[in-house]
Amino acid sequence: MTGALEGLTIIETAERVAGEYTGKLMADLGATVIKVERPGGAPTRHMGPLREGESALFAYLNTNKKSVVLDLAVPADRTTLDRLLARADALVDDHAASWTEAHRLEPEAVAAGHAHLVHCIVTPFGQGAPASWQAARPLNVINAGGWAYHSPSETPHDKPPLKGAGRFLSDYEAGIDAAMCVTASLLRKRRTGRGQFIDISEVEVQLNRIDCVLDRMLAGEAEPSEARTAYDMGGPGTSFACRDGHVFLFMTTRVHWKALCELMGEPEWTADFREDWLEFDCTKDNVARFREHFSDWIAGQEKLAISEAAQKAGVPIVPVNTAADLPRHEQFIHRGFFQEGEHPAFGQVLYPMAPYRMSATPVAVATPAPALGADQEEAAHG
Amino acid sequence: MADKSFLDRGGPLAGVRVLEITKVWAGPYAGKMLAHLGAEVIKVESRTNLDEMRAYGGVDTDSAPYFLSINQEILSVQVNMKTAEGLDLVKRMVAESDVVIDNIRPGAMERSGLDYESLKQIKPDIIQCAIKMWGTDGPLGYQTGYAPSFAALSGLTALVGHEGETPRGMNIRYGDSTAGACAALACIAALHHRESTGEGQFIDLSAVETMTSLVGDSLFAWSVTGEVPAADGNFHPEMCPHGAYPCTGVDWVSIAVGDEAEWRALCETLGASALRDDPRFADLSSRLANRHALDAALGEATRGHDAADLAEKLREAGVPAFKSMSSLDLCGDGFLWGREAFRMVSDHRQGSRPIIGPSWRISPDGPEVARGAPLLGEHNEYVYREMLGLSEAEMDDLVARKVIV
Repeated sequence: MTGALEGLTIIETAERVAGEYTGKLMADLGATVIKVERPGGAPTRHMGPLREGESALFAYLNTNKKSVVLDLAVPADRTTLDRLLARADALVDDHAASWTEAHRLEPEAVAAGHAHLVHCIVTPFGQGAPASWQAARPLNVINAGGWAYHSPSETPHDKPPLKGAGRFLSDYEAGIDAAMCVTASLLRKRRTGRGQFIDISEVEVQLNRIDCVLDRMLAGEAEPSEARTAYDMGGPGTSFACRDGHVFLFMTTRVHWKALCELMGEPEWTADFREDWLEFDCTKDNVARFREHFSDWIAGQEKLAISEAAQKAGVPIVPVNTAADLPRHEQFIHRGFFQEGEHPAFGQVLYPMAPYRMSATPVAVATPAPALGADQEEAAHG
Repeated sequence: MADKSFLDRGGPLAGVRVLEITKVWAGPYAGKMLAHLGAEVIKVESRTNLDEMRAYGGVDTDSAPYFLSINQEILSVQVNMKTAEGLDLVKRMVAESDVVIDNIRPGAMERSGLDYESLKQIKPDIIQCAIKMWGTDGPLGYQTGYAPSFAALSGLTALVGHEGETPRGMNIRYGDSTAGACAALACIAALHHRESTGEGQFIDLSAVETMTSLVGDSLFAWSVTGEVPAADGNFHPEMCPHGAYPCTGVDWVSIAVGDEAEWRALCETLGASALRDDPRFADLSSRLANRHALDAALGEATRGHDAADLAEKLREAGVPAFKSMSSLDLCGDGFLWGREAFRMVSDHRQGSRPIIGPSWRISPDGPEVARGAPLLGEHNEYVYREMLGLSEAEMDDLVARKVIV
């Protein structure tokens, strides 16, 4: 089977996770993605965690890609890049204007030299933003876009806003929009033979993901505020510690409540709550009181056993799964989300794959991340 | 004849028609992504089975805030899918479409005869995308749930929390929109495959796995190192300081220091030569080893500053920094309004309405995003008369018999 983007060639000059993930999404969908690396290799090759001298981060972000090494400050190498661009369908970059201008890769130069090319640049604040803003790191982006201030839900004012999961959450979100736009523009290129320039703002991706909460505030239908709870929904839903980890409870109706009471064996304290308290008496005090009692009870339970019992009883309790839980989870196994692979340095590895199963063009890792300059010959002479 | 400016909005997906049978957030968000790229996206709706978002926060289904904030540049057609005749009309719409997206309950499309095998009979090269909590099949494929539960199950929540505390995850709203974006990406990729081979396909998207894909590098690293990642506050193994620091009022500034020059510039800007000279903070490994002491000391140094002013000074000094933005900060932000991150679209009641615009600017021939969310059934005439070729009398009859309702 072939990938959905078979036959398309993307040149990736990106050197940050945002652009590299854009390339990964398209490479995993079957495009030929040629990664242009500086002498010594892409910066992500040197980012941890490292094993056997190689970066697990790089190995994840660059599956199915090819690698050529070019020193874009050297005219001959810059000419090689132009040759690559002349044959390619798209160029994915994530550098600031100072870099693109220094390398004649700013939007105007690329459009003038390669009118057929779909050219995308992903930056923290989008084209035209002040130069000092474009040095923002993912931590700054997720704070600038509002998700950090409001995460986790109900964080009090004396605790810091959080960066989100891992190091690169805002990069991944931006990569999705960038890959979507490049892929869309490549459809237009099939019809017209013409390229387009695509400017992606990482912060604006963050804003767009909260559209139906934040837009109501923009429109004056809800009150914008300094509250850390401004995006919250209220109610008792949150994570709780149990005996061997954590569970998440999300409960909104009297049906949920009755089922939970039964699951807990109708302890006395539940009688202090109205049967319909979740719908009509869901005050801060009641939520706090509930959580105090529930925390005591759930602390003695095991996360998988109680989640399974809860699901059967109609109580929305789910385990807070960890990295180790997922590859042995029956639904992840059924869908084949993790693909086993053999990595030249790491040996047996598990690749997390795409959330979409495509019947005609399944997403797969055909080749591990390339060795530095692995495809140099092909690029130089092809 | 009704205004039909929606037919030519430019953009890379001009000429692509999408039918969406969607509710709430993830499905409509997928439709929005495609519409904001220029596709003609038709939402199948009915008073007999209304999108909850048309009801939340108001009584007027045509100006419900949640609905208006997502569904710009979407067309609305009414059809009662609880009738055989209505389902037949939906199938005729499918025959005229390139992509069908749904996020209704597992099994519901199948029960309505709108499963992929059936749609393929109607339109052999159709691309169908189903968005479900766990995908369409498998041992848990029957389950439904809410975004915070998806995030917990996905492995994402476990990685978000203040150090040493229960991982409480991203804000409870996180997750639905990203699932919609991934669905849109897969649909566009499938359009390429159709262009090259003439073949359509079925796309089965799991909302849980969407969240999992956002922590992919952490999961992959675990398979390499065997170290189970956990919630780690604002810790970064290669940058220190890296976090949010208190300022005046309830404000915070985010600071990410990537090298020694940035560290020195930070200390200088804060007038904190004692920190710079402290042997506990002399280099990255010392700072990482003493990061709790460092965070506390930095917090003391930032506390008297205005967050936006300090961030600006730090950026000018070469230190990546930005204020942690509240909803109030965002709504009034001049830069965002100036760049059209927030922009106006038409609105049936108010005349115009601000929306959160797409994260992209595309040129030349960028997609126009100018029309607000549709009235219920606003595009009935376009769909029934022009797309399906019904006569006025036929359409009136369907309305009278509550097939169009």
